[in-house]
Amino acid sequence: MSIDGRDLKFPKYVWEAPVRIWHWVMALAMVVLCVTGYFIGSPLPSVPGEASDSYLMGYMRFAHFAAAYVFTVMLLMRAYWAIVGNKFSREMFLVPLYVFQPSWWRSFFRVLGHYLFIRRENDWHYGHNQLAMAAMFGMYLLGSVFMIVTGFALYGEGTGMGSWQHSLFSSWVIPLFGQSQDVHTYHHLGMWYLVWFTIVHLYFVIREDITSGLTVVSSMIGGWRDIKN
Amino acid sequence: MTETFYDVLRRQGISRRSFLKFCSLTTASLGLSPTVAPQIAHALENKPRTPVIWIEGLECTCCSESFIRSAHPLAKDAVLSLLSLDYHMTLSAAAGEQLRANAHDTIEKYKGKYILAVEGNPPLNEDGMYCIYYGKPFVETLKKYAKDAKAVIAWGSCASWGCVQAAKPNPTNAVPIDKVITDKPIIKVPGCPPIAEVMTAIVTYVLTFDRLPELDRQGRPKMFYSQRIHDKCYRRPHFDAGQFVEKWDDEAARAGYCLYKIGCKGPTTYNACSTTRWNEGVSFPIQSGHGCIGCSEDGFWDKGSFYDRLTNIPAFGIEANADKVGAVAAGVVGAAVVAHAAVTAIKKASEKSGSTKAEGK
Amino acid sequence: MAVLETQGFKLDNSGKRIVVDPICRIEGHLRIECNVDAKGTIQNAVSTGTMWRGLEVILKGRDPRDAWAFVERICGVCTGVHALASVRCVEDALNIPIPDTANIIRNLMHSTLFAQDHLVHFYHLHALDWVDVVSALKADPKKTSELAQSISKWPNSSPGYYRDLAARLTKFVESGQLGPFRNGYWGHPDYKLPPEANLMAVGHYLEALDFQKEIVKIQTIFGGKNPHPNWLVGGVPCSINVDRAGAVGAINMERLNMVGKIIDDTIDFIDNVYIPDLLAIASFYKHWGAIGNGLASTNLLSYGEFPDIANDQSNKSLLMPRGAILGGDLKNILGVDLKDPAQIQEFVTHSWYKYADESKGLHPWDGVTEPNFVLGKGTKGSKTDIQEIDESAKYSWVKSPRYKGQPVEVGPLARYVIGYASGNPEFKEPVDMVLKTLDVPLTALFSTLGRTAARGLEASWAAHKMKYFYGKLMANIKAGKLDTANVEKWEPSTWPKEAKGAGFCEAPRGALGHWIKIKDTRIDNYQCIVPTTWNAGPRDAKNQIGAYEASLMGTPMAKPEHPLEILRTIHSFDPCLACASHVISPDGQELARVQVR
Repeated sequence: MSIDGRDLKFPKYVWEAPVRIWHWVMALAMVVLCVTGYFIGSPLPSVPGEASDSYLMGYMRFAHFAAAYVFTVMLLMRAYWAIVGNKFSREMFLVPLYVFQPSWWRSFFRVLGHYLFIRRENDWHYGHNQLAMAAMFGMYLLGSVFMIVTGFALYGEGTGMGSWQHSLFSSWVIPLFGQSQDVHTYHHLGMWYLVWFTIVHLYFVIREDITSGLTVVSSMIGGWRDIKN
Repeated sequence: MTETFYDVLRRQGISRRSFLKFCSLTTASLGLSPTVAPQIAHALENKPRTPVIWIEGLECTCCSESFIRSAHPLAKDAVLSLLSLDYHMTLSAAAGEQLRANAHDTIEKYKGKYILAVEGNPPLNEDGMYCIYYGKPFVETLKKYAKDAKAVIAWGSCASWGCVQAAKPNPTNAVPIDKVITDKPIIKVPGCPPIAEVMTAIVTYVLTFDRLPELDRQGRPKMFYSQRIHDKCYRRPHFDAGQFVEKWDDEAARAGYCLYKIGCKGPTTYNACSTTRWNEGVSFPIQSGHGCIGCSEDGFWDKGSFYDRLTNIPAFGIEANADKVGAVAAGVVGAAVVAHAAVTAIKKASEKSGSTKAEGK
Repeated sequence: MAVLETQGFKLDNSGKRIVVDPICRIEGHLRIECNVDAKGTIQNAVSTGTMWRGLEVILKGRDPRDAWAFVERICGVCTGVHALASVRCVEDALNIPIPDTANIIRNLMHSTLFAQDHLVHFYHLHALDWVDVVSALKADPKKTSELAQSISKWPNSSPGYYRDLAARLTKFVESGQLGPFRNGYWGHPDYKLPPEANLMAVGHYLEALDFQKEIVKIQTIFGGKNPHPNWLVGGVPCSINVDRAGAVGAINMERLNMVGKIIDDTIDFIDNVYIPDLLAIASFYKHWGAIGNGLASTNLLSYGEFPDIANDQSNKSLLMPRGAILGGDLKNILGVDLKDPAQIQEFVTHSWYKYADESKGLHPWDGVTEPNFVLGKGTKGSKTDIQEIDESAKYSWVKSPRYKGQPVEVGPLARYVIGYASGNPEFKEPVDMVLKTLDVPLTALFSTLGRTAARGLEASWAAHKMKYFYGKLMANIKAGKLDTANVEKWEPSTWPKEAKGAGFCEAPRGALGHWIKIKDTRIDNYQCIVPTTWNAGPRDAKNQIGAYEASLMGTPMAKPEHPLEILRTIHSFDPCLACASHVISPDGQELARVQVR
């Protein structure tokens, strides 16, 4: 195998069905979470009429919590699939191990060099390139875990002492941050962290799709990566 | 001769019969077997009133003031009948040498049996001399009086968290009392001040049931500090409906809508205000139109303006809440993406014009 | 030190030194040291504020709209006075007028505090200086009842009532656990009340403890809680709605009725318990009309309070007059301007702070503070174990404020003397009534007794003013003037780049001033001079003594080791040390550097 991946065999089945389902359901959940989360922090103008006739914030919070459960379950499912799925399904989880491999770093800097316009050629990979792996791990995965932990800690405040959410999360997360308001603040900031990730992710996916010569966007729909013709 | 709890009850006109009834009711409400009732009766009949030494460090006396506002039990009855307030800077008749003697006598006579109540906190800078007790640093007296105490009550946010004098930059280095008393059970009763009836309830709980209340991880009694003000706020339906006060004294304020948007910290504040309420249940801050400022929470002074919904992130300077940081950074990321795309396009175009052979295909 | 002469006093510290630390039944931490001569007369007095919290340093860089909550925590006894001074200060700086109805509610809340605070002070912080609890055990309940009924129509006065009380008290004392009454100065030769009067007073001590918590409910209704109710820059946070949907969530008729009832009860209690007790007790202590004068007959200051016309702080509007008296010249009431650097200055010559030139005082807007905890060579003990302090050096955490270079006394007595001197019948007539009832001359006013009496009269004045403000509030509501907040300048974007202001307040303990500088919507500098700073402050550059020290001079002590007389006079000022020991600093960085460990 050459270093730039030009001798890889295509088409290649990269993204198995559970990974693709996870990707799109999770993306949808994230949109719902960001929108409802934003409006929980900065509510819309008041609804007129009797309080008993409306439940806007209630629905907003319900949607947020429901999407949060979906988001969490999807991530757990995804973690399970990393164990039983193909090797590409493990990539974003194994970054902490890759960092001990010099070859991984060599590839990493080659990709970085390309993105910095130092190297002209764009390497080919079956799954993620090394920079994408790092972003998936450092921004998406850690960000998501952070949001799940802080999110359940906040949710556990409502379900109350004795609930599993409170015992597993609120009871130690709230004191760790100082107080509930701090957890809210950092949970809110965590949303922006994922927004930043999303912007970067979308850009590079589209860029790769146009410039690399491999299928990128469509691979997350059909699962196959192929050379464009 | 020392007077027992039973004597006190008898003195207040309670018959032995109803005293025993009280004991069996107590057993029942605690879920204990009925055979325990005589034990409780025996314990109360023979118990002298528990001595309390109440000292004040850097503070404003709002905790003492709150305590004397208690309606049930009346502060009068708490002080005369339930406990023995042997040392209290704001109420004791004695001063100077005579007041010090009170503390020393109680510590001698009731070693391991008295309760130390601490209002305020010790400053550690300047060798502790920002608060001078008997010509010495307050922290010395605090440690000395805590040494033989059965338990320590941390009244208010000062003793529990540090409160206003510990707000940034904390010039006196005032610290919560659990930073200097590490070997005693400490019951934290935060709030600035705590609710009067919550204060007396905690004291009477300890005296009546002869045990410390169950505490949460931060040392607060679960019975009063396990839920947020928001969880039981009577304006909660307006929150759920999405009905908010936008400006002071607007129509929504007059209709009693939710104060969330003008900074109410009820959703993040653990206290009993929305249920027990203040001053014999007359009102509480939200009912009187002002959002909760979160006075029973650790570090509530340093979370930005009391009127902001989204509070400041210290690391990003004074004006930065999560949305400001997030949106600015998102803008930067977006701009970087656009720039990167532009450079990519230019490179691409120049490669195409420079060479007929497409690269990387 | 040889004899030091100042303001007509001869300070002689050669006699036996008495140290009283802590002074109890006050707010905060205070230490008094005195020298007594062979006859037991005080020849030298030293007042040391023994705590410091640094609140103004903490305020720097914060939102001016939040300042009230921080400074309110300066004191939980006179709760709300700092908040009121603070919102006025910010409104002055930003030029925010408040609605008339908001002004009335503020006046109502503030007069509520006057009534409650004075009541608590008299019964719970001061009465035990005059009332011998143990002597009350010897009282005959029937005679006590007769005494009570002869001075007041208060209903709790039957022989049975006093029999029960005596029985409860006896059992309590016999229990051996005297609680707060333990080790008091019972049996001291200067306790002059007969047993019956003592028993009556103990009864009222307990009744007042029950009742004071009712008065503050007015603050709870408008401010949500007490201690530390909520205030608002631009008005008050509560809204009024008496007839439309949602009224249950605002100030409505039920709330107003509650306020009205509490006001009636307050007037009833103060006029039928407090005032009769005060006069009855005072009649046994007329000799205290000649003790504890200090600065009372010469130098007095009041900023004035209760603006009857919203946003008008002139004497035309202030129901409690503004003014100053120097050198005992009652005919010439001087004007007071908080913004005039020549009028109000603070000295640190004997305080634990550092100025470049400590011979000069500084106006709060130009104040400098750097803590400087050093002890004089004459100190007995060590830095962390002070046995006797050296007053020739620095000796207090309290600064020394001066009005036109002179120390002054502030508080109820100052206000009453200024009101009396300006011929205001609301102040003159009650004073004349008291002097006549007790059959003492006008000079008896300038004393420990006078201070305590003025406070009682003021409690009654405030209670009746509560009724007056309540009437105005109801009239406004009837006329549809419901606005309680001016939000035009709520948003910081509407503020000027730089602004400065001063806010005043007459707290129950006296003249309170706050000064603010705002820069780029943030607090650039915040400073307070509080009543107890005026009264408890140490000596200044010219060695002039403040009100506490002056008032103790010449006091005869029957048993110097039992400092009852010192407590009487110091308590007559109603000390509030958490208030007094603040800090003034335009530069928080300076302080952050002061690290000992």
